[in-house]
Amino acid sequence: MNLEALIPEYVRGFQAYVPSKPDHLLMREYGASMLHRLNNNENPLGPPPAAARVIAAFPPERAAIYPSGDSYDLRQSLGARLGIAADRVLVGNGSCEVISSVIKAFCQPGDNIVTADKTFAVYEWVAEFSGIEARLTPLRDYAFDPQAMLDRIDRHTKILFVCNPNNPTGTYWTQRMLVDFLEQAGEDRIVVVDEAYREYIDDPEYPDTIGLMERFPNLVVFRTFSKMYALAGLRVGYLAGTEAVVEVVRRTSVAYSVNVQAQQAALAALEDDREHIAATRTLVREGMRLVVDACRDLELETVGGAGNYLMIRTPINDMLMYRRLMKRGMMVRTMTGFRFPGWIRVTLREIPVMASFAAILAEEVHAIRNQRVPA
Amino acid sequence: MKQAKSRSHSLSSRLPFKGAFLPLAMSLVEKGAEGFGYGRREAGGLVLAIEELFSFYARQATADSAIDVDLEDQGYRLALTLTFRMANPDLRAFNLTWNCSLDSEESLELLGPMLAARSVSSLRLDFGTDDQVVLRLARNRDYPPAADVPLPPGDLKSPLRLLEPSADDLRHFAAMAVAAGSPFLPGFLARPGMAADMLAAGHIGALLIEQDSWIRGGVLWHPLTGSCLELYGPYIFGPDADAQGVTLLLDAAVARISRSPYRGLVRRQGVLAGFERFFDFLGELHLRRGDAAIRSTCYYRQLKEESSGTVYCAEPLASFLDKQYDRLCLPRQIRQAGSDPARLRDGSVLAVELEHERSLAILRPLCAGKDMAANLTAHLDMLRGEGIGNFLVELNTGRSEDTAFAAPLAETGFVPRLVIPDAGQGDLVVYDHPEPEGRV
Ligand SMILES: Cc1ncc(COP(=O)(O)O)c(C=O)c1O
Repeated sequence: MNLEALIPEYVRGFQAYVPSKPDHLLMREYGASMLHRLNNNENPLGPPPAAARVIAAFPPERAAIYPSGDSYDLRQSLGARLGIAADRVLVGNGSCEVISSVIKAFCQPGDNIVTADKTFAVYEWVAEFSGIEARLTPLRDYAFDPQAMLDRIDRHTKILFVCNPNNPTGTYWTQRMLVDFLEQAGEDRIVVVDEAYREYIDDPEYPDTIGLMERFPNLVVFRTFSKMYALAGLRVGYLAGTEAVVEVVRRTSVAYSVNVQAQQAALAALEDDREHIAATRTLVREGMRLVVDACRDLELETVGGAGNYLMIRTPINDMLMYRRLMKRGMMVRTMTGFRFPGWIRVTLREIPVMASFAAILAEEVHAIRNQRVPA
Repeated sequence: MKQAKSRSHSLSSRLPFKGAFLPLAMSLVEKGAEGFGYGRREAGGLVLAIEELFSFYARQATADSAIDVDLEDQGYRLALTLTFRMANPDLRAFNLTWNCSLDSEESLELLGPMLAARSVSSLRLDFGTDDQVVLRLARNRDYPPAADVPLPPGDLKSPLRLLEPSADDLRHFAAMAVAAGSPFLPGFLARPGMAADMLAAGHIGALLIEQDSWIRGGVLWHPLTGSCLELYGPYIFGPDADAQGVTLLLDAAVARISRSPYRGLVRRQGVLAGFERFFDFLGELHLRRGDAAIRSTCYYRQLKEESSGTVYCAEPLASFLDKQYDRLCLPRQIRQAGSDPARLRDGSVLAVELEHERSLAILRPLCAGKDMAANLTAHLDMLRGEGIGNFLVELNTGRSEDTAFAAPLAETGFVPRLVIPDAGQGDLVVYDHPEPEGRV
């Protein structure tokens, strides 16, 4: 069998993403007696209480029955919450799935998408392994640069992806900036705003994307239950857009991809999120303060703002820092893969974990500064 | 760095693997090379190589087997790939030291592959599944040496800017690197036309910096193995206050290749001040240039978080690896290998890569055998006879045919100096041979 000949050129050069191994294997490999995951921006509080109850009470016999193929009830509830028709919502197996659906719906080989170079990588990856050019623009002051993106548009540009707030830098565009951008981008292409971390932001200037869709029917927004709602393990995300746009994206989406327990838990989470969001925001604020202070004491530069994560500049190569911290039971995200070599990103968690992270980081940094390897 | 095989620059043919088709195979290569615009001198080596290899292995091939002959013009070189199936291919003749005695029929036959290996710029052997054997040969185009070019004045003031080089930019940069007398120039930079053609073919990546329309420096990368890139530079022409140029180039280069399929990035070009922010220190190789002892410093960085593995090996390699893995915080399990010399083949096989400019030979185990120590000694003797003064061995920790060499290497005076993580099948252990007149 000549497998090579079967593979499209753009898949041949592409390497599959390698997810991290399960905790028990990592602990054994690194000889760590504990492991705190500070790498995936998860919420340590767990899902809101109502969602937790739904998950705990899940009747096994329901596992034998197909879920709603289009997350019917969840869409009704999301529609009501957002003040739009349920048909303007499309639920996916995590927002990663809807990224793929949007690209498939609008792009064919020869087309391109525009996004930033130092952002969540999935927009770029899905484009590339689908044979679509990903045009990447540099950040400006750690933020998406609207002008740089507009400059890269040509007649083959189908989608512009804006990660708002940006993972990993925590910067975001305000309503005014987004409106300016939408006005200049024109109506001949889709503008996607990924709001995976929007619930962490409490700022009246943060864009009202749903409200803007009337004026800008090419606007699409992504949201997820993985971050604030702490349902990352069940995989639920969604997009919202105008009825016409969502109808097109539905054509390239797989029905039945969201499992029944995920639909039920997301529905419950939505109805019981007020205190949960407040508690999570407090936890992130306190965690942020603790780590930023610790880094200041260590004279380590940090970059962060919105979202439950913080970037830290490391005195050594970030990949070695990662392995040193792994040995101590702290799993961070290296930023080499985000094109920020020499930085790590840390998920902000509960104070005891952050305090122990700060202590271990300080020990490692002191050890590194005291015993530089001879050059 | 994207490599695409262009249909207008390649030809492929499947031939019955029989001596009768040798003339066809040879003229395919000869006429093909001519068609792609290569000279007689350049094509000659490949024609000789296919003659020797085809006839040698056709004799061992089963009656109904076939051979795929692929010839590709990669711009800066002509690449010939021979693919066939064979259960137990005889590889002994790839040992450079194969002694040919004119009265032994067998050894005369084995002379063929040896000649083939010497007539081309590079030769690589790969074994696939289902007894597949792949021989990859390449002959570089002949390029003129660098022309003299001016270097930037020392008083430029405007900020440094990154430049994505065109092939012409890179040609000029390479000529500047030669003019500046930069140490550690790889062969492809010493021939600026070759660097430009390699960039155009997508076989190297490069970034430059400029200032006031002068090229002020640059950095390049090229695959060392299928999983590891090698970085060359940064080369800076003129002063570099606060290492601004180096930092700009390294940050941008690492960012550029961090989403590539490669797992690691190695730099083997001597000391880099302030390396810690970019690299792990791997170690130093002890080499000689003329009468002077020099140390070649190696740095490395992972490009992917995931890295683990199990190594089966015996002492003294096990203790060396243990120390290195611990120092680099690499998650590896070292397990004692049960070695039973009686079960080894008689003859071991080593592949040799020669770099005459550096008086350097790199030996790579292909097959373990009972005669490993004797074979290593024979290689040392023979290569010294050819004027080679530096010897490196690269050993894959994930290949038991390789790790079986650990004891014979120690016996013949080779010293393990460093480990390049994930650079081969598993990690790559690099040995040098510090005493040319050693205890062999
Ligand atoms: C910006 C951004 N978008 C989308 C996602 C993916 O989320 P999901 O779990 O919904 O696929 C993430 C997760 O890390 C993210 O950071």
